[in-house]
Amino acid sequence: MIAEMSNRAASIGRVLRCAVVAGLLAGGLSAGEVTYEQLLDPPPENWLTYGRTYDSQRHSPLDQITKENVSQLAPAWIFPMPGARRLESVPIVVDGVMYVSQPNEIYALDARAGRQIWKWRREPARQRGNNRGVAVLGNLVYVSTPDAHLVALDARTGSMVWESEIASSEDGYWSPAAPFAIDGRIIAGNAAGDYGLNGWLDAFDATTGERLWRFYTIPRPGEPGNETWAGDSWKTGGGATWLSGSFDPELNLLYWGIGNPAPDFDGEPRRGDNLYTESVVALDADSGKLRWYFQFTPHDLHDWDSVEIPILVDAPYKGRLRKLLVHADRNGFYYVLDRETGEFLEGVPFIDKLNWASGLTETGRPIRVPGVEPTLQGNFVCPSTSGATNWMSPAYNPATNWFYLAVKEGCGVSYKSKQEFRPGGFSYAATGYIESPRFPWQMFVRALDLTTGERKWEYRQVNSRHYGAGLVSTATGLIFAGDDQGFFTALDAVTGDPLWHFNTGTRISASPISYAVKGRQYLAVCSGVNVVTFALPAGPEAD
Amino acid sequence: MTWCRRGLGILVSVVLLLGLPSLAWGAENPLGSGAEVIAEGHALFNKLCTVCHGVDGAPGDRGPAMAAQRRYLRQTDTELFQAIQEGIPDSEMPPMGLPEDDAWRIVAWIRSLRAKAIDVPADGDIQQGSNIFWGKGECGRCHVISGRGGLLGPDLTNLGAQMSLNRIQEAMTVEKPHPPLGYRPVTVTTKGGRTISGVSKNEHNFSLQMIGDDDRLYLFSSEEIDKIVYGEKSLMPTDYDRRLSESEFRDLLAFLSRLSLRRRESSSVEPNQTP
Ligand code: HEC
Ligand code: HEC
Repeated sequence: MIAEMSNRAASIGRVLRCAVVAGLLAGGLSAGEVTYEQLLDPPPENWLTYGRTYDSQRHSPLDQITKENVSQLAPAWIFPMPGARRLESVPIVVDGVMYVSQPNEIYALDARAGRQIWKWRREPARQRGNNRGVAVLGNLVYVSTPDAHLVALDARTGSMVWESEIASSEDGYWSPAAPFAIDGRIIAGNAAGDYGLNGWLDAFDATTGERLWRFYTIPRPGEPGNETWAGDSWKTGGGATWLSGSFDPELNLLYWGIGNPAPDFDGEPRRGDNLYTESVVALDADSGKLRWYFQFTPHDLHDWDSVEIPILVDAPYKGRLRKLLVHADRNGFYYVLDRETGEFLEGVPFIDKLNWASGLTETGRPIRVPGVEPTLQGNFVCPSTSGATNWMSPAYNPATNWFYLAVKEGCGVSYKSKQEFRPGGFSYAATGYIESPRFPWQMFVRALDLTTGERKWEYRQVNSRHYGAGLVSTATGLIFAGDDQGFFTALDAVTGDPLWHFNTGTRISASPISYAVKGRQYLAVCSGVNVVTFALPAGPEAD
Repeated sequence: MTWCRRGLGILVSVVLLLGLPSLAWGAENPLGSGAEVIAEGHALFNKLCTVCHGVDGAPGDRGPAMAAQRRYLRQTDTELFQAIQEGIPDSEMPPMGLPEDDAWRIVAWIRSLRAKAIDVPADGDIQQGSNIFWGKGECGRCHVISGRGGLLGPDLTNLGAQMSLNRIQEAMTVEKPHPPLGYRPVTVTTKGGRTISGVSKNEHNFSLQMIGDDDRLYLFSSEEIDKIVYGEKSLMPTDYDRRLSESEFRDLLAFLSRLSLRRRESSSVEPNQTP
């Protein structure tokens, strides 16, 4: 019966009616399959992919929670993840079932009651890195693991259906990103760039687990781009794919941000631009072939992974409707690109303290300020290596036409030394950085004009000392944000004013979502070791 | 049932055991864990120890079972060897002081009783066993192997590596006193008048999560429910020793005992092959 509901409901009113129909049929809910058509146009009540939609806008069409009633928002349920440390998972919700993950584990929960339906646990061969969520397609749930495997489970029971290797964990790889489901294919990345292990992006057959294509983020000899690496330095170039990406089904292009080059802080052994590190790549979804790329930080020296989620928007730019890709980079600049061609359109800083570049050229290349490189004694740089933003997802609201993001202001001191590469998964950073005591860490939520990057407002997260959460935008003009002090906060998308907050008590480092079950809208976010959800107290069950 | 118990020694075939790296047991035993050693150990035990322990390792009048669902104090070959030879202080287990090789033979047999099915896979026609699983036995109606099958019972893809042969047999022949957690049979009547039967995965006062016998997941909030009726007995049939012939049962065990992710490559039949 969920098939009836899957026809795109344009408004929550429609959703409510559908829910009533479902309610009459079963009295409860029955979880159904996820089709590619649903992934293309997700029903408002479901959150089916990492960024909700393929364009990663993280904008929920649900409209029950409004600026007027948000002050009444209250916890609905809390699910503590057994054994968790710090969750970074983005929950996925399909027809009232929530799938939430931590390394080597997935829980399927009743999204209304917070009660466990099943749990999958993989005997941990390794515990490396974090886990940022699952993907769903058909009857299967997909997750990548700390030993760099992609695993497919039966969504109804958590039974394993197949498992494929993404990369060798013996070599030192792991895989923290949420897999990405498109038509019949699951895209999965890997991590280990700071170990000097080269990254790639794989596509697997969704039903069999067979690998269909692989894109190497560091071009091999004979491939264009290999000449941007001095000598043999490409062999240990890094370029991890440790976060999800975005997809344009019409252009059939996948957009993925690529991590930093190695050794991270010593550029000497790897002279050149070091493609495709610190770039966004546009890949043909059928073949994995590179269509175009844009490099944000050529020859990066500060470990500024460019993995931040790119958001795709069709919007007027200088009088003409353009297919845009916007991206706020860890290096402190906000970029607007044409996503058909990769052409650079705009680029402006979104932080006040930025000292490594004086601006961008006409083609978007940074104009470097000399003398900001890491040194043996340490050198001052803004932003610091932790970056002006990071894995926490930004959001876009089509009504305001603004881009919203978590921003860090702060500077660091970067050091370098000589280091030899060691195979098997060992750091190849050639030293590192500290946060500068002179400019301590400060987090903000900022709203930027989509095409100019002009700052519209900012909300200062007082006393923040660490990264906070990603954002979700709603059709009612709300932005939900979280911070390291544990506060989950609703902001007015137009003014940035805080309208409601709740102290979850533990650091929020994940990105929130919104979903609905039987006509009742929820917000959910991983906070510390808990999945915490909120709804309006007398939330009208569909009746 | 009776032939089943009695037949265990014959059903357990111990081929190919030595040299499998996955086998931790037998490593300390100077005689190894070959089929002959185990068979000799079995015979010795029945002859020497059944004044107190039960025949074939069953519970006896004065001594415990050699393999049961409990935590064993003595896990390793050496620990068992010592218990037999030196006795267990402050208990009725006397020092047996057997010829060393005989003691090791008995140790090998005790370990084989406790081993997972995949370590001592049962003899029989595996292909025929697969046919029975998906056909006459109707196991596939309620159980999944490698993604195929019904959802009311547990996934059996890795059964051989998870359970001993003994326990697999028991699952098919001995009724459990209560349906285990997560498999309680339930029939829900909704306020709308619809009836759904299946197994309850989780429940409390305010909600119930279940798999229906249509293999779909149903999530209820208590306000939506008019009536809940629980089944007393597990849905798992336990009359397979009567429903199947002796050879069919043996073939089924041969198939089931080889269901293992760990040795998928070496199993001679695709677990999800259709009859
Ligand atoms: C006089 C009675 C008696 C005889 C004869 C006897 N046992 Fe026992 N055995 C016991 C009792 C009682 C225990 C339980 C001791 C305890 O743990 O309290 C036991 C325990 C054991 C255990 C330990 C079980 C475990 O899991 O910890 C082993 C092994 C064992 N017996 C082997 C043998 C063998 C082999 C023989 C014959 C060669 C034998 N026993 C003969 C009475 C006997
Ligand atoms: C009508 C449904 C149904 C059928 C048919 C069925 N089972 Fe089961 N089975 C269950 C359920 C439910 C359970 C879990 C509850 C229990 O253990 O009693 C179960 C449990 C088991 C277990 C125990 C698994 C464990 O982890 O404890 C085994 C082994 C098993 N079944 C094997 C079989 C085999 C082999 C067949 C066919 C010969 C079969 N079942 C047929 C429903 C079924």
